Amino acid sequence: MELKVRKFSSTYIIDVNGEMDLYNSYKLKELVLKMIEKKIGQFIINLENVDYIDSSGIGALIFICSHIKKINMKLQISNIHGSVKKVIELTKLMGYFPISNSIEEAIAKIEQ
Amino acid sequence: MSEVKLLVVDENSKLFDTTGMFYKEFDSDFRQIRYYTLLVVQKAPAEIKEINLLEQQISEIIKNAVKHGNKCDPKKKVKVWYYFSVDKAHLIVQDEGEGFKDLEKWNDFNKKRINCFVKQNFDEMDKFVSFKTNQSDDHDSGNAMFAAVEYWNGGVVFNKKKNGIAVLKTFPKKKHGLDMSSL
Repeated sequence: MELKVRKFSSTYIIDVNGEMDLYNSYKLKELVLKMIEKKIGQFIINLENVDYIDSSGIGALIFICSHIKKINMKLQISNIHGSVKKVIELTKLMGYFPISNSIEEAIAKIEQ
Repeated sequence: MSEVKLLVVDENSKLFDTTGMFYKEFDSDFRQIRYYTLLVVQKAPAEIKEINLLEQQISEIIKNAVKHGNKCDPKKKVKVWYYFSVDKAHLIVQDEGEGFKDLEKWNDFNKKRINCFVKQNFDEMDKFVSFKTNQSDDHDSGNAMFAAVEYWNGGVVFNKKKNGIAVLKTFPKKKHGLDMSSL
């Protein structure tokens, strides 16, 4: 799994590439926590290039979502598809996670 | 209304019948869990793999056996029986651990979680997104079995000691050729 960060206006987009599994999902949690320490408060986690997620990946997203909610910061998760979407649906987290269909939609929701 | 699916304990369930199933035995090596899973899932026909969803669901059950059951003890083995066809995936996994002692607590927890989901009360659901016990560590996500009970539509059954799990998923048979019924 590779993580790349880019910025659009005051929102930081984390592009996740590869598989979010039991061996690497903690890296996303660590990255977001470091960014929060640097006072970054608007995030998009872009899963467009993620084709595999397991319970550890879902756990990382739950941790991030829950943490960001508690400190009143903003998060959107964008471009879920395929088996990633299916696992989120099976875990009944579609309404719990702030999900957007595209980066553009995510930016609009965050900046409204 | 969303049906609440339960983890069941039934030593005599037909899901524990290993007749005609393939068998493999693995060491309790955490680093090898996805590799073990691939060795199992390679027997499945492409029609039921749903890209990698079947692999992911099998991986969760093997992970539970290696990590929570055998505590990654290299002296302990994980036994896996499996059978796949175009309309069925059947898996039995047994470890040498003490068993899933919090099974009833998990069922209660999941009922509350489903209740929040039905009411679309996601603030309350925050309390029920991860099932943690005093055995859990920071890397445990505590959500794998929530998806498992939904995915394995033919049942999720434990043996009496709760260190063996049998799961079944059935898939709709795909129709081939032309549908002549409307002619």
